Amino acid sequence: MKRTPLAIGLLATALVLTACTAPTTESTAATEEQPGYLAVADPSLATGGDLSVQLDYDSVEANGLDPQTATTARSWTLMGLVYDTLVTVGPDFSIEPGLATSWDTPSDTEYVFTLRDDAVFSNGRPMTADDVVGSLQRLLDSKSDWSLQLGQVSSVQATGGNEVTVTLAAPYTSFLGALANTPAAILPMTEIADGSVDITTTMLGTGPYVVQDHVQDQSWTFGPNEHYYGAATRGPESVAVDIVTEENTRLAAIRDGSADYAFFNNVDALDLLGGTENARVVNQQNTDFYYLIINSQNPDSPLADQKVRFAINSALDRQEISDIALAGQALPTGVTPATLPGACPAADLPSEKPTTDEIKQALADAGAEDLDLTITLYNTEPALAQIAQVMQQELAAVGVNLTIENLDIGSFVDKIYSSSPSDIDLALSWYAGYGDAAMVSKWWNGDVSTFTAGFKANDPAQNALQVAAGSEPAGAERDATMVELCASVDESSELVPLVTRPGVIGYRTDSLSPTINTNEGYGSVLRDIVDYRMIDAG
Amino acid sequence: MRLLLWLPGRLLGALVVLVGVSILIFAAVRSLPGGYADVILGSLSSPEARAALAEQYGLDKSIPEQYLLWVLSALRGDFGTSMVSQLPVTDEFASRLPLTLGLGVIAIALTVLIGIPLGVYTGTRSTGGRSSVLGRLVSSIGISVPEFVLASVIVFLFSRFALGLRVGNVVSPATDLAASIPTLILPGVVLAVFCIASTARTTRDAVLGVLVEPHVGAAVARGESKGFIIRHHVLRNASIPILTLVATLTAYLLGGAVIVETVFDVPGLGSYLVQALGRRDYAVIQSGVLLATVVFVVMSLLVDVLTGLIDPRVSVAKKGRWA
Amino acid sequence: MTGTVAPIPRATAAQAARRGLRRAATTLDPLATVAACVLLAMFAATILARLVGLGGSPTEIVGTRLAAPSLAFPLGTDSLGRSLVPRLLEGIGTTLLLSVIAVAITAVLASTAGIVAGYRGGRVNGTIMRVGDMLYAFPSIILAILVAAVVGPGQVAALASIVLVTVPLMTRLVAVSSRAVADRDFVAAAVISGVSTPRILVRHILRNVAGTIAVQGTYALSIAILVEGGLSFLGYGVQLPGSSLGLLIKEGTTYMVKAPWLIVAPGVVLVIAILCINVIGDSLRDRLEPRETRSLV
Repeated sequence: MKRTPLAIGLLATALVLTACTAPTTESTAATEEQPGYLAVADPSLATGGDLSVQLDYDSVEANGLDPQTATTARSWTLMGLVYDTLVTVGPDFSIEPGLATSWDTPSDTEYVFTLRDDAVFSNGRPMTADDVVGSLQRLLDSKSDWSLQLGQVSSVQATGGNEVTVTLAAPYTSFLGALANTPAAILPMTEIADGSVDITTTMLGTGPYVVQDHVQDQSWTFGPNEHYYGAATRGPESVAVDIVTEENTRLAAIRDGSADYAFFNNVDALDLLGGTENARVVNQQNTDFYYLIINSQNPDSPLADQKVRFAINSALDRQEISDIALAGQALPTGVTPATLPGACPAADLPSEKPTTDEIKQALADAGAEDLDLTITLYNTEPALAQIAQVMQQELAAVGVNLTIENLDIGSFVDKIYSSSPSDIDLALSWYAGYGDAAMVSKWWNGDVSTFTAGFKANDPAQNALQVAAGSEPAGAERDATMVELCASVDESSELVPLVTRPGVIGYRTDSLSPTINTNEGYGSVLRDIVDYRMIDAG
Repeated sequence: MRLLLWLPGRLLGALVVLVGVSILIFAAVRSLPGGYADVILGSLSSPEARAALAEQYGLDKSIPEQYLLWVLSALRGDFGTSMVSQLPVTDEFASRLPLTLGLGVIAIALTVLIGIPLGVYTGTRSTGGRSSVLGRLVSSIGISVPEFVLASVIVFLFSRFALGLRVGNVVSPATDLAASIPTLILPGVVLAVFCIASTARTTRDAVLGVLVEPHVGAAVARGESKGFIIRHHVLRNASIPILTLVATLTAYLLGGAVIVETVFDVPGLGSYLVQALGRRDYAVIQSGVLLATVVFVVMSLLVDVLTGLIDPRVSVAKKGRWA
Repeated sequence: MTGTVAPIPRATAAQAARRGLRRAATTLDPLATVAACVLLAMFAATILARLVGLGGSPTEIVGTRLAAPSLAFPLGTDSLGRSLVPRLLEGIGTTLLLSVIAVAITAVLASTAGIVAGYRGGRVNGTIMRVGDMLYAFPSIILAILVAAVVGPGQVAALASIVLVTVPLMTRLVAVSSRAVADRDFVAAAVISGVSTPRILVRHILRNVAGTIAVQGTYALSIAILVEGGLSFLGYGVQLPGSSLGLLIKEGTTYMVKAPWLIVAPGVVLVIAILCINVIGDSLRDRLEPRETRSLV
């Protein structure tokens, strides 16, 4: 679709406004200091110092502090300060060494990792190959979300003093990407086995920091891990994380300098902080994206008809949703997150083609004129209500009347997942996009993600495409598979990817020199923290 | 003592209210759609994980059984465990209570220091006078500005411009009393505005009501000084509605000023309860509401006893016959 | 239990109430007349907005996001580029209408329960008072959020919450007034001459506590607006793209720095509305519960 007059009008006004107003210096989204980085810490500055961070919510997990079953990006961020993974993600989602200094792939199902010999847990015990084997095995046994992302592993073995070999049942391109996230962290397996550490209440890792104090929903205090292998080049000596729910309070903290670094959920923070002296604010693109559920599983609903669902999908203008609901900072996306290498171009999706008249005709042909539908969302993610209101306008243009139902998260989950078929027409939410273009599409594979059964059909052809996208090696052939997968998801119009979910980071330039990557796959807003430098440290 | 005649009945009534609220809140919490498992485990959770969670917190038992278990352990001082932090609810409340108390003390202190004198002043001026009209107008505006408007404006002003006080970074009085006051003063003042205004209005009305009583006229006829009359005749007799109001406001403040705590990011009891509600942290919501009710009931009893002591006629006439 | 924000009307007020009610309708004091006119103007504007589209469509996206006030958009635009004028007009209507309906329900419930409790006294009174105490002791915003979470956020939730928050106090005050009336000779005379109880309740008690109901109803209206505002402010009340004053103020707080007009306009209107209602309440009380205010001191 299909520039509406509305969008054209907006564009025109925006152009006029841009021409008239002086640009706010530091608030432009894509100013990179280096390719792949919005900011790069000044290495000439001394290490040490105390970093003060404000985040919008705390980690809350069913299994407390156990990283392997952690499900939210916030948990990955905070636990990632204490735990290390075998590999990490660099700029543009390249895989870089972590606790493994290098790896070989003798075949497309075999990975041989060479481990660091200087990694030591914060209790002073050196990490061994057994810790690595035990951790990965424990993760696979946990049947957690992340064990699904690890793919089909047939064996994990120590094949030398500091060598570990993982054998896969089938080729799986996303394997290293999955290993790079905090749930694949290396745990102190000896201590877990002998019961001296309860991993759900204590964090004991090989990473740069140790937890000194945690008050749920209020604050974290991290001190240095004296045994960290990179201690010599670790930036801040300590990190104080305050959980500050109100966006206004975090904005104030960056304005008055009471925090060095803060995360914002509202893209308008770019504007609200723009022009603040000694502060810089950047829009960090994520692979996370918002999606729309169009429930196909209720046989009495007109939405059981694919033509109706596709017409509704076609009536949505992803660029307009970004422009109006997300201040133009989000990117239209298909099921492969637009910010990842090899993603399918969202502009080529089948639903982008029909004109308004064709959509109306399709709805009329399906006997679905003057539809009354309800869209269900939850109130802790303010952007959802904004997106829903734009959709409401777009759908009104093709004769669909949309009612918005904005619930609290408990009622939302209950409504969607407690019955089959699901008790909804449409619903909005978002998925984390991870570090490889095929990873998140697992949630579209009905064989893997049984939780979507209440509103999405299990389509063997789509599942096969998803598996193919995950197993083909990176390259033109895989890219073509991704385009096919995107088209299939778009055609079925049951779980429709919309636009990426950007995040905004603000920091004080007079106290902090951080390293911030342009694209983030795991919502880890403190990813490169060991590289940060405090201006007045040392 | 006439007090002894009606006190047992009042205590029984208070107990009935407490039991009623405990049943009410328990039932309300259980009828919320979705549970902790939905909120925390989210859409990707397995049925096994949910069952394990339910068992861990006794949610697999029948509802009456759960209620009895809760009440029985609450009587022993055990209010259950927060599912979010996995800490005892009493610990969670203990860490947040000082902040709510701090806000309440600031607001009530300002109310007593400003609201009551303002009410006496406007009440003892002639009704048509300029000061009286001004006083009425100020207190009318005071009760007409909602907390969420005032709080938002104050947050904006103090976070946008350097006005000496900072929003956020709240320090608990339990950690550092001196450091906590500057961080609590802004939300405290916002809470106080409504309390001051309503207290001033009630005081004014009460004073006006007493001034027309015959015994005040008699005192004037006896030639007693104006200050003496106000202190000895007027305030003593006007104190009952003022006391009632201040007690109600105190109970309200201790129940947690949800909106002010939320807007100012004060991690007190009120904002905690709202958060717990969103997460379906059952034990926290139930016990929090019960605690607020206990405070309210105790304050009310206290007022009744004090009222009885100040003016025995009132307590019998008002309560004794049909409490 | 006591716990009254407004002073308890005195027994002597009852008889004057009937006369007063009639008088109040014809002669409000000047300040209250102004307040009533302001409220009427608000009602008129919101009705005009609904009938003839005064100010334009409240949901249509017409301009750039967060545009400053201009000729085309006298109060600027919101975060989706909708003109604030029609949204404000709709918001006033929603807030006032919701509050008025809720208070009407409260008045019916509280009058019935209060009159029965006051007239019968004893155990009936005790039961009604204890139930009222339970609701009254419940922290009000928590109660409102609970209601919204159980029945689903929206206008129904806001309505139910307002009723639950305002009913206990009004019931108590009506009961106190009714008790005072029930003790009077003319009620005793009616009972002796065999008048039926429902007739006594309506003809004698209700007519004599009407003043209390009117005064408390007015105050309840201002509380209703506060509750609706607070609930919408926390996201549990009126739902987008609908509009209410609380909802508009909530949105205003997000963009306060960049677009202060988004909070100023609905904030000012809300304060004025509550102020007007309180002024009218004060005036009604002075009329319906006359008290010799000329003091000797």
